Amino acid sequence: MLSKPTTDQILLGIARDLREQVLPYVENEPARVAMGMIDQILRNLSVRAVNEIAWMHEEVAALAFASGRDAGSPTSLQLADVVEWYGTASRWLSEGIEGAYATGDQVQIDLWRALIEARSAHEQAIMGSLDLVGRG
Amino acid sequence: MQNPDEMPARIAAFLAQQEPEWRDIEVVAYEVMTGGYSRLLGKAHVRHAEGEEVLVLRGDPPPGRSLIDTDRAQEWEVISAMGGHGVRTPRSRYFDDHGTHLGTRALVIEYTASTSFLPYAAAGGSLEGLNIKLADALASYHNVAVTALPDRLERPKDWDSYIGHRIDEWRRTADAHVEDLPILRYVAAWLDAHRPPEVPLTLIHGDFQSANLMLADDGHFEILDWELASIGDPREDIGYFKAVAQIAPPDLLDDAGVAGFCERYRELTGLNEAQVNPVTVTYFLILGVIGTVRRLLEGGAAYSRDENTLLASVFNMNSVVFGGGMWISASKQLEPILDAMNSRSMKGPN
Repeated sequence: MLSKPTTDQILLGIARDLREQVLPYVENEPARVAMGMIDQILRNLSVRAVNEIAWMHEEVAALAFASGRDAGSPTSLQLADVVEWYGTASRWLSEGIEGAYATGDQVQIDLWRALIEARSAHEQAIMGSLDLVGRG
Repeated sequence: MQNPDEMPARIAAFLAQQEPEWRDIEVVAYEVMTGGYSRLLGKAHVRHAEGEEVLVLRGDPPPGRSLIDTDRAQEWEVISAMGGHGVRTPRSRYFDDHGTHLGTRALVIEYTASTSFLPYAAAGGSLEGLNIKLADALASYHNVAVTALPDRLERPKDWDSYIGHRIDEWRRTADAHVEDLPILRYVAAWLDAHRPPEVPLTLIHGDFQSANLMLADDGHFEILDWELASIGDPREDIGYFKAVAQIAPPDLLDDAGVAGFCERYRELTGLNEAQVNPVTVTYFLILGVIGTVRRLLEGGAAYSRDENTLLASVFNMNSVVFGGGMWISASKQLEPILDAMNSRSMKGPN
């Protein structure tokens, strides 16, 4: 398959073209709001395209270590299989933080909270800056 | 409501029925408005032999195009009740309960010529004293007696069960989503472990944010968009305002404004300093957003299941992500302060 230009490059290119070549000619306000949303979503997707498989693997490894479980491997590197495998580890994270608060063990709370913070950092990187287009 | 060719005739016919004494009704202009993600909005300039009116229509989107489902009848009753208690909000005028006239179930309110607060602030308008005006606006409807509110609004049994239910909403929202959301379970556990002192339950707006505020010529705020109103902890509206202001500045409750706000709000509502202070404002910055978080996630889940195709459902997931970072940061900052406060209250006065 042709791997270059990469998916993220193309997505960013679409966003740029919509912003620079199309948006100036759109006068209908609801359509302009939709264009603003599409622009941000495309930029989010470009970051996901680059990182999501790798980041899910990294998070699962950290969660397996924290919970003392064997995460195994996803059935394949197809996105749907990785997402399903990641979902299992996400439940460990939920159970970990709830269990920590149930016992009131501050060390455990800090441990599991740090893992939630790490996940949040990836999500923030995907989001970039947030512009609530069309509000106000 | 989205068809500017059709709407003038529909509105004219509707008004002829609502205002039989008006003669020669003509809708001279109609435009679709933006400003919210949830409802259809339209603005109609109406002329008749007895005068002129500018009206705003708020209607339900077609089935499958609704980001969130709310009850127009409840919104109508709340707006009408607010007008009757001197709360500054555009006056309710008409309600097409079945959508037979306006094409969809819609309410009609007066257009306000006041200035939208967000563009005003973005243009560098003065924010001096607006933290105090914000307290005035919130207290104006938080002070309306619950007995005077529409019967349609559910009355919680007491504060403790209410707040427990609200905290559980984080867990229920996580349970209902299409994938596990550990951040929601963290927030629920954290909120439960750090409950603030109780206050009397009141009407809450449910979407009290700068985008729903207008600034009148006399410097007071007018409040728009009551579709998410309910009875709850009034501090939820305060925290929610601050939460949204982190995404859409200005934050009138920042370090410079929050103490003055709290003092004015306490003065107007009779609540005490343990109940309303910068720490409880930040606690409710977290708790107060769950209703919105749930609706946004429901939209994202529906998109994931191919049950809707709304672009906004995907776009709005970013607001949840933004919130996640904010909840973690706020909870970590507040934790030592709340622990110290609880420790002092457990020891009692010396």
